[in-house]
Order: sequence, then structure tokens, then C-alpha cells
Amino acid sequence: MSLTFLTSYILIWPIISLAVLAVIVGATVRDYLHSKRTGRDIV
Amino acid sequence: MEEASLHQFSIATVLLLLLAFYGGTYLLTLCIKKKNEDTDAFMVSNRSIDFGMGAASMTATWIWAASFYAAATSGYTYGISGPLHYGMWGALMILFIYPFGRRFRKLAPNAHTLGELIHARHGSSSQLILAGSNILGSAISLMVNFTAAGALVSVLSPLPFQAGVIIAGVGVLSYTLWSGFRASVLTDFAQLVAMMTIAILIIPAVLFAMGGPSELMANFDRLTPEQANIFSKEAFLKQGAPFFVAVLAYSIGNQTISQRLFAVREDHIKPTFLTATIGYGGIVIGLGMIGLMALLAGVEPLDGNMNNIIPQMVSLYLPAGFIMLFFILVIGSLSSTADADLCALSAIVMADIYGKNIAKNNPDPRKMLFIGRLTMIVATTIGIVLASLALDILVMLVFVGALWGAIVFPVIASTFWNRVTDKAFAWSVILAVLLFCVVRFSLIPITGVVGVFFELVAAVGGGVVIGLMAFGFFGRTVGFVIGTLVACVLAYFCVGALREYTVLLASLTAYGVSTLVCVGMSLAADQRFDFKKINERVRDYDTPTMEHQS
Repeated sequence: MSLTFLTSYILIWPIISLAVLAVIVGATVRDYLHSKRTGRDIV
Repeated sequence: MEEASLHQFSIATVLLLLLAFYGGTYLLTLCIKKKNEDTDAFMVSNRSIDFGMGAASMTATWIWAASFYAAATSGYTYGISGPLHYGMWGALMILFIYPFGRRFRKLAPNAHTLGELIHARHGSSSQLILAGSNILGSAISLMVNFTAAGALVSVLSPLPFQAGVIIAGVGVLSYTLWSGFRASVLTDFAQLVAMMTIAILIIPAVLFAMGGPSELMANFDRLTPEQANIFSKEAFLKQGAPFFVAVLAYSIGNQTISQRLFAVREDHIKPTFLTATIGYGGIVIGLGMIGLMALLAGVEPLDGNMNNIIPQMVSLYLPAGFIMLFFILVIGSLSSTADADLCALSAIVMADIYGKNIAKNNPDPRKMLFIGRLTMIVATTIGIVLASLALDILVMLVFVGALWGAIVFPVIASTFWNRVTDKAFAWSVILAVLLFCVVRFSLIPITGVVGVFFELVAAVGGGVVIGLMAFGFFGRTVGFVIGTLVACVLAYFCVGALREYTVLLASLTAYGVSTLVCVGMSLAADQRFDFKKINERVRDYDTPTMEHQS
């Protein structure tokens, strides 16, 4: 097993988490702004 | 080998952290505008949850405290492939349910629980089998999460175990009681953001604080050949395969998932569940890597308890502030799952027990809401009492797993195949659970012809698992062909070998028996069901029926 593989294998998961977090937060902010405009509750 | 001690907080610090977490969460729920809930909002948020909130809620709910501990344990025990064999299959549970979830929504757009759909299809007895398994599963989950809170508080502070259990129970109940599912989803979002941020920080922080990847590489010879192999057979057979078999069982048997399937906007189901799959995998596999790092660093679990691995690693390599973050990570994960369990239990009692069986599909919505809130209070009390008693729940867990495995095929077949009869549903589940128990508890010796019989049934079960997954994504023909092929291949390899893996053999037996009995009895009966009746029978309880109005 190479050093590069081990580094990537461990660090890929927080990077994936970061990407998912960005997608979820971005979508929720958009939904929140939309719900404010339309006057409905976000949940 | 190193054995690090755990960082200790003062009582005041822990109480302040818990107060900040639960107080903040409670204040967040005050943002919910509509103060007077109706039953639909209380159970499924009027089925209008958008993508972001839905994905956050699904991910947060599916991550419980045990996810981190078990993933790290898997990494520590099985090495390189360990975290994958915990986190990947757990993530796939979310992925494989969504094609079936879309079918459930199409058949019963007004449903709040899967039990209501089964009631409309097969009547009370089948519904109560499903509802009973859901209640047991959620009650156990609630107890396990409160236990995790007690354990965390007692290992990181001088506070007793019971104090952690009670604070977590009262804290979760306080913010969930009034708005139910809507509060659960809203707080899941905040909890997930906190959990993900903390996980994103902790994983690289531990890695670089212990000397970086080169330090790990230098210790690589500490791994056994199996631990160093990413395709480890041992890790697959002992950790991955039993989990893989449970993939569909957990998602069908768990009302917390069904509730979200019924709550997310119908056009958002696919992206929501796909995102939750990736999110869950990222966090859980990532934290499982801390177990692998502990193994490479030669850290011994404190008191031989594998649950101490992550807090030990954080205590050993990171400053005290990170221990606080870890504390919030665990409290967030257990609270998000516990509030989902409370909502699941209340929905089952409201809809499946009161709505369908006591009020005979014509309930009083106000009484229904009262029953839902009362259920939450009773469930929390039971969860706190059982957690405080620290009972051994292994047998109960095994039984619930059997029940969930046994209902997968009958539930899915009942929603796609119009020939499944009520008797076929009930008997297939009962016989599958009985034969599961025979294998799991070795009630008779699994040798000779008996062993071969169970291995062949288990091969059918394996074909059913893979066939159903293929069916969900690619349709009936592909599912049937792949399932049959897998069953044939497994029959060749399983006979004479699978009896050594009792847990796997028993789980696959449950799938195999339920499928064979369900199909056999249904074909023999030659009945046809009109799926349109399901929508007519599953109703929105807030809209009065003609009968009720008159």
C-alpha cells in the first residue's frame, strides 16, 4: 500500500462530507428564502 | 501498545454543554410558525419537506451514537476494509429503500406509516405484525441512544450514568413533544450541520496530530495480512455480509425511514435519499478511520472497551476543545435518532393502533394528537427506565432483526404483486421467524440433511436479497434473473460451508422461508387484489369523511 493511497483513503471521507454539507446547506438556504417569500413554514 | 486515559470534564462543564445543546435545540423549535398542529403536520410535516431539509434529516436520523463506535471498532478489528464494511452497507440501506418508497407513495399518497398501507392491503393482523416490529425496533433504538448518553457522560465526567440518561431523555422530549415530526426535521438539520462540521475537523486533525500518513505507513507492519487487505474475506464474512443481508430489512422495518419517505416532497425522494446515502457514508466511514489509525498507532482500548477508541484518540492527540466537539458530536447523533424514534412511535400508535384499529379509520384528530404526545411521554419514560437498568437486550435485538428480515419480501411483494394473499403474508412471516430461531439459537443440530436444507433455503434467501435490490432499480425481469442466478451460485458455494456462519445462515433463512411460503401460498390461492383500493382506504385524518360530517 502506498503513502498516497493511504492518505487519500483516509482523507476522502471528510472531503465527501464537506461536499455533501455544502449541497445540503445551499439547498436549505434556497428553500428557506423561497418559503419566506411564499409565507409557508420550511418544515 | 499505548493506553491513553480519557479527558475529564467538571460537572459544571458537562451540564453547561448539555444545557447549551438541548436549550439551543428547544429554542430552534420555537421558530416553527404554525403553533396549532394538525395530525398530518405532526406525523409527516404535510408531506412537503424539501430536498435540503429532507436529506439532512434522513442522514442525521440514520447516524446514531453506535454508528461512530461500531465503525471505529470495525476499523480497529478488521483494519483497512473495516470502516467500509460498516459504513458502506449502512449507507446502502438508505439507497435501496427509495425505489420502493416511491411505489409506497404512489399507492398510498396519504399514508403516514407503512403499516397503514399494509392494513389497506391485508387487514389488521398483517399490519399489527409490521407495527409491532416497528415499535420494538424504535423502543430498542430509544433505549440504546439514552444508554449511549449515560455512558458518554459517565466516562467524560464525574456525573453518574443515570444523570446522562435522564438529561438526554428529558432534553429530546422537550423539543419534540409539541411539533412532533416537524421539530424532529428542523432540529435534525442543525444537528447534522454540527455533526458534519465536527467530523470534517476531527478526522484530519487526529491524522496530522499523530504524525501524518507517513507515521501510519511506518507502522503498517502492525497489521495482520487480513487487516492490511482491502478485500479481506474475514472482514466481509464477519462484518460486511451480515450487515449487507440486513440492508433491506432495516430500511423496511424502520418507521423512521418510512416516515421520511412519506414526508419528503414526492419529486424530491430520489435526490434526498441519494444525498443522505453519500452523507452517511462520508461521516461514518470517516470516523471509522479513527479506529484504523488507533490500530496503526498501537493504541489499546481503555478497559478493553472498543467504544473508548474514538474518545481515547481525541484525548491522546487533540486539545480539550476537541473533546467538547466530540461530546457534541455524540449527543447530536443520539438525539437526532432518539427524536426520530419518538416521532416514529407516536405515528405508529396514532395511525396504526388508534386510527386503524380503535377508531376504525374514523379518528378524532384532536384526540389523535393527544395520543401521539402521550405516546412520546410514555416512550421516553420507558426508554429512560430500561436504559437505567442497563438490561442485556441481545435476544430482543436478534428477534427484531429476524422479524424485519422475515417481513421484507412479503411487504415488497404485497405492493407490487396483486396475488399475495392475507394468509400468505401472515404465515410467511410467522414461519420465517420460527425457522430463523431454530437456526440462530441452534434449537436442533444444523448438520447432515438438516444443514443442507437450511443452506439451500439460505441460498434462496441470498438470491431474494440481491434480486430485490436489482428489482428496485432495474425492474422485474432483471430482478428475477439476477436473483435466480445468485441463488444458484450461492447454493453451489453454501452447501457444507454456510453452517459455520450461524448469524448469516439464520438471516438468509428468514428471507428464504418468507419468500418461498409467501409465493407458494399466493400461487395456490389464485386471488387478485385491486391496488386502487389502497388509496381509497388510507386517508388524511384532518379532512372529515362524509360519514364523519353527517
